[in-house]
Amino acid sequence: MLSAEWTKARTLSSTLWLLAGAIAVTIALSAGVVAATRCTSVGCGDPARVSLTGTYLGQAIVAVLAVLAISDEYSTGMIHLTFTAMPRRVPVLAAKAAVLTALVFAAGVIAVLGSMLAGRLMLPGNGFSDYPSLASGPMLRAAFGTVLYLALIALLSLGLATAVREAAVAIGCVLGLLFLFPLITAFIGGNATLQRHLDQISPMTAGLYIQATTGLRSLPLTPWQGLGVLALWAAGALLLGSLILHWRDA
Amino acid sequence: MEATIEVSGLHKQFGPVKALDGMTFTVQPGQVTGFVGPNGAGKSTTMRVILGLDRPDDGTAAIGGRAYHELKHPLRTVGSLLDAAALQPGRSARNHLRWLACSQKLPAKRVDEVIALAGLDSASRRRAGGYSLGMRQRLGLAAAMLGDPPVLMLDEPFNGLDPEGIYWIRTFLRDLAARGRTVLVSSHLMSELEDTADHLVVVGRGRVIADTSVATLITAASDGRVTLRTTARAEATAVLTHAGATVTTVGPDELIISHLSAERAVVLLTENAIGFSEISAHRASLEEAYMELTRESVEFRGEPS
Amino acid sequence: MTELLRSEWIKFRSVRGLVIGLLLIPILTAGLSVLTASGSQCGWGYQTPSGQQESGGCSAPTGPGGELVQDTFYFAHQPLTGDGSITVRMTGLASSALQPWAKSGIIIKANTVPGSAYAAMMVTGAHGVRMEWDYTQDTAGMPGGVSAATPRWLRLIRAGDTITGYDSADGTHWTKVGTATLAGLPATVQAGMFAATPSDQVTANSSAAIIATGTFDHVSIAGNGTGGTWAGTFVNSGPPNPPGQSGPGGFQQTSTGFTVNGQGDIAPDVPGNNDSTGTPISHALNGVFVGLIVVIVVGAIFITAEYRRGMIRTTFAATPARGKVLAAKAIVLGSLTFVAALIGCAIAIPLASHQLRNGGNVVDPLTALTWLRVVIGTAAVFAAIAVLALALGAIFRRGAAAVSTAIVLIVVPYFLAIALPNLPTVLSDWLMRITPTAAMAVQQTIPRYPQVPAPYGPSWGFFPLSPLAGFAVLCAWTGGALWLAAWLLDRRDA
Repeated sequence: MLSAEWTKARTLSSTLWLLAGAIAVTIALSAGVVAATRCTSVGCGDPARVSLTGTYLGQAIVAVLAVLAISDEYSTGMIHLTFTAMPRRVPVLAAKAAVLTALVFAAGVIAVLGSMLAGRLMLPGNGFSDYPSLASGPMLRAAFGTVLYLALIALLSLGLATAVREAAVAIGCVLGLLFLFPLITAFIGGNATLQRHLDQISPMTAGLYIQATTGLRSLPLTPWQGLGVLALWAAGALLLGSLILHWRDA
Repeated sequence: MEATIEVSGLHKQFGPVKALDGMTFTVQPGQVTGFVGPNGAGKSTTMRVILGLDRPDDGTAAIGGRAYHELKHPLRTVGSLLDAAALQPGRSARNHLRWLACSQKLPAKRVDEVIALAGLDSASRRRAGGYSLGMRQRLGLAAAMLGDPPVLMLDEPFNGLDPEGIYWIRTFLRDLAARGRTVLVSSHLMSELEDTADHLVVVGRGRVIADTSVATLITAASDGRVTLRTTARAEATAVLTHAGATVTTVGPDELIISHLSAERAVVLLTENAIGFSEISAHRASLEEAYMELTRESVEFRGEPS
Repeated sequence: MTELLRSEWIKFRSVRGLVIGLLLIPILTAGLSVLTASGSQCGWGYQTPSGQQESGGCSAPTGPGGELVQDTFYFAHQPLTGDGSITVRMTGLASSALQPWAKSGIIIKANTVPGSAYAAMMVTGAHGVRMEWDYTQDTAGMPGGVSAATPRWLRLIRAGDTITGYDSADGTHWTKVGTATLAGLPATVQAGMFAATPSDQVTANSSAAIIATGTFDHVSIAGNGTGGTWAGTFVNSGPPNPPGQSGPGGFQQTSTGFTVNGQGDIAPDVPGNNDSTGTPISHALNGVFVGLIVVIVVGAIFITAEYRRGMIRTTFAATPARGKVLAAKAIVLGSLTFVAALIGCAIAIPLASHQLRNGGNVVDPLTALTWLRVVIGTAAVFAAIAVLALALGAIFRRGAAAVSTAIVLIVVPYFLAIALPNLPTVLSDWLMRITPTAAMAVQQTIPRYPQVPAPYGPSWGFFPLSPLAGFAVLCAWTGGALWLAAWLLDRRDA
């Protein structure tokens, strides 16, 4: 079953284009932001987070890829073929998830490496005098964690798309969930506790704590806790998708 | 109002595939014209070009002398059914026909008329996603008839219909043609076209192979052969061969006679007092005729197992 | 064309999903706006010496022009009836952390009630001598800082409703700096010296509030009612002080003159400024972005669903003029989303404002005209974005591509500009000018004031382009996409 999904995935040219696009866009945005970032009088920013700014756009493309992985089958009707060949549906979803994770992981490693490299090359010149070595603990955690983050975003999107089926609506839901949580939180004035709680449950905000290497004490969660919140969201989405897959007509 | 469909010198290439290679024919009113050919011969592409949906690399297509895009409210001139599944599943048949009617400035009661015509009254308010294949075909036909057009173009309308449905469409189309409309029906199911079409345009590999009436085609394929059943085989063979026919024995009492009409054979046999139980003109089926004609042009042929 | 509009309308209303999406626009926009407004809080609290808890919501006075203002400073004043003048020489402006807009000087004010009309001549921390009046007006006088070596002479002359300000370096040669007309100025006003300083905008440590001290000598005041003792008042538009505590600031008479020290600012209340209390109206429309995502999905699906089912061929066979079909779809879609968004915003603003006030927040007042511009402008933005999504749907022919492109163009730039505080301003500025997000400028209701330090970012309702310019940027995107879509529709096979 895994090999069937793997074959389906790698023979679809749009898969490769989207992965390439995610890598390119992540590195491009990271490089652009890194080139323009200077240290201000207050202090320098977080070197890892600045270097990895491209994640914001890269995750959008990863989400699209994941949504299309299942919505395409629904729209072309190929889902019938898939389910007649392999009647037990939830394992099919699991196989898709595994293949997707592997692909996004590979692309993520390249994207993250490129971004960190851009930061390493340009940030020290922009005033980040204490730029930590890429091999140091926090930096490694930020880099590796971002790769995991991208994979979790893919899984979250896959789960939602399985539940929703229509590609356009699914993408609207996923990107809305990711980007609107922090946007709306930012506008709640004067209520720091509420904002903190909202940040703790927001999939993107919490998930990206994994990239933080400075100012950790002011964060509402530790980096790994944050990534865990995103993992919970992804698991919930996959669960919802599995339930709907199981109960509804194909 | 009468209108012909004229297609002249159409060329169209999709990448490396030559879909249309000099397609030229004319469809006359007052008869059902069958548009037949193997898969990939260019039937659907030709229809799309006529409807202005695909742009040809070369050549022209006209309806009553005018290009499709020059027609105001084109559905009142040409009714077409290309793909019965081209429906929004969440929309009812009634609403589907209503928006089509609106776009051609047709009155709302026309929608009711074609729904009755197609026999969809009970299902017209249900969402189209729940329709069976046959109902979708009927809806497509209703949509084609919405503008009461003098020209009708249908792409594989028999697909998925039960025998009752096939009979209904055949009668419907023949009726339309009898009233002077131009009807073009494409199909690759020869058995249905046999009783529906009067004229055939046979295509293969993007060009016309034959443009002839059904009768002529069948006669040509039948080779004018006559089947004779008689116990007096030897006598019959002698008499008929003497008259110039070629006689082949195919069974203990069955002979096939070529190059002699059935009438003449009857006269000869009666003159010589040779009894026979059955004499009939061998009529090739349209399928035979078609297979013979397109043997060269078939692109996709299964390997005999 | 009318028949096309009718047929596209039937197409829209006969699909349940599209109608639900349309209804969700006002529901989600208003709903989420009200929800987030409910979470916002503003207030003050203290414990009285007897142990009681006193608290209350935020409040801010309005100036003569109707805008919310900060009016907090220390005032050493005398009454002045009728025409008169006040002249001083200043030899210093000191502070533990001198802010660029720390200010001290002379002021003629209608009374000591916060928000009343005034005209003032002052020295500032880094902007030289300035004349300011009625909160929004600010003109530059002599540049350079004030010190014992470089004193500054300041003069205000009142004649009826008009107050004219002069400055001088030597006390002999005077230059007119500006003229203020304060309509309805009462006969008896308060004239005197003042000092104020905004808090440190950079470190935002409002608890470690700083104080500015101005040094005055050669103080002369002329007019009816003057010549008596100086009264000291802490004019305060901010949270009240616990009883028994006098406000920060004071004045002292020295052998040569006076020193006045104070805290606060006399300026318009600008959201984002550390000491501000007002909430911009854009915070009552937080649900807009959720509504925009729904609008994008509806707009894209309206055309991509036809491609997916192959129905686009039926549409183009019925109407070979494909550009007209696109136009009809755009008109129907745009009109419907405009109305839906209009309803959503018209409901959201009053309801959300109500919730904001319940939380003690002060909502920036709007004139009727501005309110109309915000509501109609936002609805127009919704409509234009819906049509943009439609055009992208026609270009890409796939719903997923259209929706994701539209979201990346519209929501992501806004998000980057707001949620990344370390994003270099040049980047966020550029994002808010070039992308369709620029159109959010229709929600800007407060102008930028050079004399008020604040981040002036989108999260506070400030946008680099004017409302009209921002909307024009969005229209350019939508128009360009439509043109490209029409061209592609014509060229391509159906």
